[in-house]
Amino acid sequence: MTLRSTKQAFGAVTKTIHWVMALLVISVFSIGWYMDFLPLGMEKLEWISRHKSLGVTVLALVILRVIWRHSEQTPKELSDLQIERLAAKAGHLGLYLLMFAMPLTGWTMSSAANYPVSVFGLFTLPNLVSPNQELFETLRTAHWLLSWAIAGLVGVHILAALKHHFWDRDATLRRMLPGKIEEN
Amino acid sequence: MSQMKRKMLPALALATTLAGFSGAVHAADPWVVEANDSEIEFKGTQLGAEFEGEFKSFTAEIVFSPDDLAGSSVEVLIDIASVDTENGDRDSQIVSPDWFDAAQWPTAKFATKSFSEIAPGKYEAVADLTIRDVTREVTLPFDLEIKGNEAEAKGTVTINRTDFGVGQGQWADTSQVGDPVTIEIEIEAKRP
Repeated sequence: MTLRSTKQAFGAVTKTIHWVMALLVISVFSIGWYMDFLPLGMEKLEWISRHKSLGVTVLALVILRVIWRHSEQTPKELSDLQIERLAAKAGHLGLYLLMFAMPLTGWTMSSAANYPVSVFGLFTLPNLVSPNQELFETLRTAHWLLSWAIAGLVGVHILAALKHHFWDRDATLRRMLPGKIEEN
Repeated sequence: MSQMKRKMLPALALATTLAGFSGAVHAADPWVVEANDSEIEFKGTQLGAEFEGEFKSFTAEIVFSPDDLAGSSVEVLIDIASVDTENGDRDSQIVSPDWFDAAQWPTAKFATKSFSEIAPGKYEAVADLTIRDVTREVTLPFDLEIKGNEAEAKGTVTINRTDFGVGQGQWADTSQVGDPVTIEIEIEAKRP
């Protein structure tokens, strides 16, 4: 398996970032939900810390991912239907946008609430806006709505991969899995 | 010129006498704080990140003269409920029983016990700081600039919140809400 992707296969870097981000996005989403239900206390704060630190990690990785994607080729979509190829493109674009929008709305809403964001206690991000209660409430709603948008889109993404694998029986899912694949 | 000198001399003599006299009677000069230009701010940490806040309302009784430190004293009463960290949820937490318990102990008190000059324009105040029902001695170094009848003092001291019982029960844990809190004072005062 090479580091870079080709027109047929994904490279090791893209595969690694894909699966690390999959894990992160699911974790951050789950933590976000869990921490919201906890009563105010140490445990809640601990989970909020983790949510923020992992969320910033998602932002860093999606930036790397986009840069990397532009520096290499992207394997061709395997569907013969143009509508499916378009839907896939739109879905992927949506996922990218949401992977930016989620951490950015989170970071900005923390700034608006004057709760600066520390990343694993290693360093603190600068506040993006000055404290503003109204803005905080708007952003909190946006962050919540977007979390559902990304959950829905991830669901569609998974279903589409499974559809390719079990229905179309093509290499769409397999070529994102670790290891080398021959046929495409 | 010589005429002017002759006129001024008695005035100067009188002023000197008065100054010496007042110095002997009054311990030090009283000062009135300019509330709008004075601030008591603090920096704490939450989830590993620093945040700032201030106590907007406080009163101070200041008697101070650089040449009579022994006769100088400062007492500041801070209205806990006037806390502002630009976050309503956090502010209401701060005054709650787990933290400052402003209902039971509405004011914090800073009362000096002694002053010392450590360098020109730089002083140290040893004071009793009372928060909740805990009184502890703190040393506040500050810079002081007196211009005519106006003075500006700036100082910073770091205390540990748990020393004063700020953060009860589970909040005594300092992993998410840090123990050290840095207090920054900036006081402008006038000599009436």
